[in-house]
Amino acid sequence: MAFIVRQISRTADGREIVRTATHDTKSIMIGRDAGSEIHLADLAVELQHASLTMRNDGGVDIESRCGLEFEIDGRSALHAAVDPAVGAELRFGAHRIQVSGDDGSIALTVERIEALSDASEAKEEIGLFTLKGLLPGRRPASWAFIGAVLLLFLAWPIFTYATSHAGEKRSAGFHADQMWSSGSLSVAHKSLGNNCQACHINKFEAVRDTACLTCHKDDAHDHADPARIAGAKDGPGLGGRVKGLFQTAFNHPEGRCVDCHTEHEGAGKMPPTAQAFCTDCHASLNTRLTDTKLKNASDFGSDHPQFMPAITVGTSPRDNRLYKRVSFDARPVEDNGLKFPHAAHLSKTNGIARMAQTMKTEQGWGDSLACKDCHTPSADGTRFKPVEMKSDCAMCHSLAFDRIGGTLRTLRHGEPAQVVADLRAFYRSTGPDRPISLGGMTRRRPGDYAAAETTQDFVLGARGYSGRADDAIQAVFSRGGACFDCHVVTPGVDAGSPFRIHKVFQPDRYMQKGWFDHNAHKSETCSSCHKADLSRRATDLLLPDLASCRTCHVGESGAKLKPVKTPVESSCAMCHDYHVDAGAPWQTREKVDRAKGQPRFNRTIASAR
Amino acid sequence: MASRAPRRATQTGRIRSDGMHDGFMRHNTFQWLKIAGSISIAILVGYALIDVQPRHNGGSWYGYLLGMIGAGLIIWLALLGVRKRAMTPGAWSLKAWTSAHVYLGLSLIVIGTLHTGFQFGWNVHTLAYTLMMFVIFSGIFGISVYAMLPRAMSANRDEMTETQMLESLRAIDRQLHDAAQPLELRQAELVRSSLEQDPFGGGLLRRLSGHYPNCATRAAQAAVRQESAYKPNIDNDPLEKIDVLLARKEAMLARVRKHLRLKALLEVWLYIHVPFTFALIAALFAHVISVFFYW
Repeated sequence: MAFIVRQISRTADGREIVRTATHDTKSIMIGRDAGSEIHLADLAVELQHASLTMRNDGGVDIESRCGLEFEIDGRSALHAAVDPAVGAELRFGAHRIQVSGDDGSIALTVERIEALSDASEAKEEIGLFTLKGLLPGRRPASWAFIGAVLLLFLAWPIFTYATSHAGEKRSAGFHADQMWSSGSLSVAHKSLGNNCQACHINKFEAVRDTACLTCHKDDAHDHADPARIAGAKDGPGLGGRVKGLFQTAFNHPEGRCVDCHTEHEGAGKMPPTAQAFCTDCHASLNTRLTDTKLKNASDFGSDHPQFMPAITVGTSPRDNRLYKRVSFDARPVEDNGLKFPHAAHLSKTNGIARMAQTMKTEQGWGDSLACKDCHTPSADGTRFKPVEMKSDCAMCHSLAFDRIGGTLRTLRHGEPAQVVADLRAFYRSTGPDRPISLGGMTRRRPGDYAAAETTQDFVLGARGYSGRADDAIQAVFSRGGACFDCHVVTPGVDAGSPFRIHKVFQPDRYMQKGWFDHNAHKSETCSSCHKADLSRRATDLLLPDLASCRTCHVGESGAKLKPVKTPVESSCAMCHDYHVDAGAPWQTREKVDRAKGQPRFNRTIASAR
Repeated sequence: MASRAPRRATQTGRIRSDGMHDGFMRHNTFQWLKIAGSISIAILVGYALIDVQPRHNGGSWYGYLLGMIGAGLIIWLALLGVRKRAMTPGAWSLKAWTSAHVYLGLSLIVIGTLHTGFQFGWNVHTLAYTLMMFVIFSGIFGISVYAMLPRAMSANRDEMTETQMLESLRAIDRQLHDAAQPLELRQAELVRSSLEQDPFGGGLLRRLSGHYPNCATRAAQAAVRQESAYKPNIDNDPLEKIDVLLARKEAMLARVRKHLRLKALLEVWLYIHVPFTFALIAALFAHVISVFFYW
């Protein structure tokens, strides 16, 4: 009966070396201590870790000597009994001890089964110093990324497109195809932001005008005859040809609304259409549309035709205004039917100024007349109302001819026949002033010559009194008379209206093709554009010409012919409208609205015009 | 045919001046830097001078042109992954290809950015751009570490191979193990904790920072020193020996960890560069399809 201890160790190439020792005692020690019968060079093992004691019945008791556990057949224990015939496996730290019976003796096979340190373990040295295992592999990561990107950014939006139907309003909130939007929509179209199909109706089909016209029923006027437009456009440059190739190849037709009205350019206002879109045609229009009456224009600052105001040239047989567009270069004059010298009225020193001073308190005037004393802006401030006799002239140019009690009787302005009738009535219903010495119906006594003479004279005067109405009528319509002062008077056609007043025209717009807004020029004085204080004749046309506008306005990108102190960059769209109608151009309207503090985009399309 | 021979002779001359030992950055006296630089400048000048209406963006004709060049370039650049598996010399050598990859890849910053017209948003288009920039900048990082780190790595290695480093660690471990045999269990545990810690353990951040706050070896050494500090210095104190061995192990670990860190820096960018390239190609595909889908 003995303990046979077999220590198994391995060479570097894995060959086993077995050293056997026999201990003929009843008890042996397992421990790190070199004196132990089973010496385990293992730092997890105590110096004297456990003892093995042989029992009389042939079994073996294993007892921990240090209070530390050991493992037996996979369980931890402080003491255990082993039947050598059955055998057992003990674990102390990194060592395994097989217990078995061997011909009456007890065989203990000791083997280190774990490396003595982590570094000593067999390691795959190729990947050891790399990042392998610390990061997901490049190939699986690539596949994962491809899958995720295609699913999220391609499949999902396509699914959204396929499952929602064009024309229907989409529910609020996020829709996957919004991820395809190349930029925010402008403020006007903000509400369409999550409904891509409002404009992009069919897949792989560029936005068509019909999509725009769904909402813009009233405000998308044609610019000109489409056939003329097609002929007016300048041929494409190199870039244009490249783009043309793409457009043909990818079903992206030209001439659509979106060519000018570009979207997805970011939140805020839709950017105004650049001047180049106009000058594509208008810079050299007459070379392609040879019959056009329009003059070429490529930039306000450097290449723009002289203005051609529509001036009054006469009256039609039906009393309508006849007008003609005349260039400022022809130094046009206009007969509007009035004899009104602006210079005299604006003088600071003459009788009119003196009269204005006397009426200062009553009228709220200054030391002389100013423009505003006679001219009233229209309700929208764009233009001025026509001058009215009653409100704008009559405070000085009185038409009073009689006083009854405290009430003045005035001639009726604008109705010459009534003036004639009123004057006749005046002379018919009244007699000459009665002399104080005029006697009554008392009996006349002889010698009272003077009284008789007075009576005779009065009777004679009264008899012819109504005949003086003609003189008065003649006077009022002739030089020095109230009408004649301001109006052109011509002989009438019949006795009922012996005089005709020449019709007065005060056109509200001289520039029909361009737009001018006084609101936008509030920083200027009237006289900086209208030289009224120097105008001695009523026929002077007091409108600013091209050169006058160019003292401030330069081209879209600052082009100018003369130095400008504070340049205002002005593209075509400032004065002209592509979809021209009676209203102001879009850009100007925006500017004016902004100046008035009412942003246009708060209004609906319907109320915008 | 007769005129061929001299031409070949001049070619040989050019190849010689090419310099076999120039890196891909200097290849053929910066040939591809010059080409890519010229392309970038030409495109920038075009962008500045060409008056695209209403404004520059991916949808203008110039934008289309840049988009096509960019997309083609991206695909070609990605093909380096295929090309690199065949190493060949000559004018179309792998080195020339890599040089072109680097410089044309850098010019993609100009091409891609101008293609956007500086319009960015939360959409698939900007996603593709962002991924592209990620790939480019990870590539720039890769080139920088390739340029800077090998010298530091070589200095750190001190002519040791990786196998030698591992062997050296193992040798120290064995000695520690032996030296710790007479110690009582509490002290033996300290040594064992050092032995059992994986010198290659710790996550990616440990690798990249070279910072190992839970180093068991350092902790063990500190504990051992604390223990031996007040003891009389007697010969053959196993703790003294352990102390020396732990110090050696720590020095070795420092070298290994620095090596690991440098190596991780040399490698980590590829873990972004490659998968993001594929993400970019997928996003590019989605970008192109989406543009034509909602046209």
